[in-house]
Amino acid sequence: MFGLPGTTAAVLFGFPIFWIVYTIIFFVKSKDWPDDLETEEEGGNSNE
Amino acid sequence: MSSVVLIFLLLYYVIVVGIGFWAVKKGGAKDLEGYLLGGRQVGPLVTAMTLQATSMSGYMFLGGGSAGFTTGYWSIFYASGDIGGGVVNLSVIGRRMRKLSKILGSLTSIEYLEHRYPHPATRLIAGGLSVFFLFFYILAQFIAGGKGMALVTGLPYWVALAIAVGIIMIYTFLGGYFAVAYTDFFQSLVMVIGMVWIFAAALNATGGFTAANNAIAQIDPTYLSIWGKGLAHKGAWPDILGAVLIFSVGYMGWPHVVTRHMAMKSPKTARMAGVYSTIWNLFFVTAPYMLGIFAIVLLPNLADPEMAIFTLAGELLPAAVTGIVMAAIMAAIMSTADSILLQVGTIASRDIYQRFIHPKADDKRMVLVSRILILAIGVIGFIVAVVKPPSVFAIVIFTTSVLGSAFLPAYVCAVWWKKANTPGAIFSMIGGALSAYLAEITSFVLPPMVAGVLVSFILMIVVSLATQKSHPVPSYILKAMDLTAEVGPIPKGILTSAEFNLSPEAMAVRKKLDKDK
Repeated sequence: MFGLPGTTAAVLFGFPIFWIVYTIIFFVKSKDWPDDLETEEEGGNSNE
Repeated sequence: MSSVVLIFLLLYYVIVVGIGFWAVKKGGAKDLEGYLLGGRQVGPLVTAMTLQATSMSGYMFLGGGSAGFTTGYWSIFYASGDIGGGVVNLSVIGRRMRKLSKILGSLTSIEYLEHRYPHPATRLIAGGLSVFFLFFYILAQFIAGGKGMALVTGLPYWVALAIAVGIIMIYTFLGGYFAVAYTDFFQSLVMVIGMVWIFAAALNATGGFTAANNAIAQIDPTYLSIWGKGLAHKGAWPDILGAVLIFSVGYMGWPHVVTRHMAMKSPKTARMAGVYSTIWNLFFVTAPYMLGIFAIVLLPNLADPEMAIFTLAGELLPAAVTGIVMAAIMAAIMSTADSILLQVGTIASRDIYQRFIHPKADDKRMVLVSRILILAIGVIGFIVAVVKPPSVFAIVIFTTSVLGSAFLPAYVCAVWWKKANTPGAIFSMIGGALSAYLAEITSFVLPPMVAGVLVSFILMIVVSLATQKSHPVPSYILKAMDLTAEVGPIPKGILTSAEFNLSPEAMAVRKKLDKDK
């Protein structure tokens, strides 16, 4: 592919594909992460 | 160097300093949390870009091109890990570190370690290691900046160095983290535009990707092999492992990089920041190595491989675009130097001065002390860089390996492993740094990063397990870790004020969490 040996092409294109898949999985799995900011501010700065 | 190039560089500097002044007006330095963490108000896009711009130093434009030019496609292993460096960092420790640092009231990445592994020795050792090695890292960036400026402007090295150091210090000095984060954001855009532009020009000059590879095969087909020129790395799996790991998981051990997690607007910020990081990396990270590989065909008589990208820019691009590429190179150098400068100033002021010398220092005094220290570090760095400049890239690789080895297990286990205790962390930091150092000077069979991380993790696990009875993890930290693991808001009333030093805030958290048990 593109004049490259098969292993070189696999590394060159395989790793980016792996990281794209990793990022998509992370994005999907973290979809329920709430935005904690408001609660933090409500409860913030307590030093009891 | 043409005046058009200089005009673009000048314009770039004006914008960068302008962002520094804007950060001051926006209140980036109004109190200590504002100065050190931008008031924890940094959104996903800026978080991702400051994370990436800080991680990618001038190494990418000089060392990356050199690696591609000298080893061929073997160098792609470095990029292969690096593409995922940002998202790995954000997904593994981003959300949890943001939350735990907020619960424990930590303002610096070193202070955070002491709060998680409570003992003054934790901060002394972590602070000492960080200040020592990061100073040399800054020095390397100063020298690279000075050399780059001298090349572009034709000015004497020391004058160019003074300009480069002066500009970095002005905006770091003025606006603290906020200024650094937003200049990093701007600089990350300049970096990726410059890189993509020259990549497209080089690809065009070679006649396309396939044509370039066919031409390289005519010169030496082993350049195309994944084992490197002359098959020099054939079967050398530890080398490959080291190349992939150093920039994929290694970032999680860099104190100046993980600080970005603590400054995020909320733990959720990590989610989109991970996506932005990967997108930016896909455009930026592989290009320098590929440019070095293209230079094998385009610049067959190149004397200094580190000048591959500079030379390609000068030969292939019109003056105005060369100016953008030169600005991109300076951006890569400056965006790393400013973050480390702020980090070292922060550690020296907050983690050493306030912690051990003047515990009652108020926010105003702390910002002042931090600024004075940044000035002092800048001046000392300038003097060393003029009088006896060491080799830039040897320092970069060495310091990143040592820092990554020292701190990677400490930061990862801080949020993921409840049995990680203070003795484990201390042995891990010292053992990791020492073994990376020894692997470097003895040319050990394993690369310094791999040897250091391996020893560091083993020590963290073995020592922590062996000392569970004598040094149990305090109950308030276990509770804080439980809260951190939960996906959800931090319950009311347990947050600590960042204005307080370790004892009062730790006491407050302990009191509250113990009461809730």
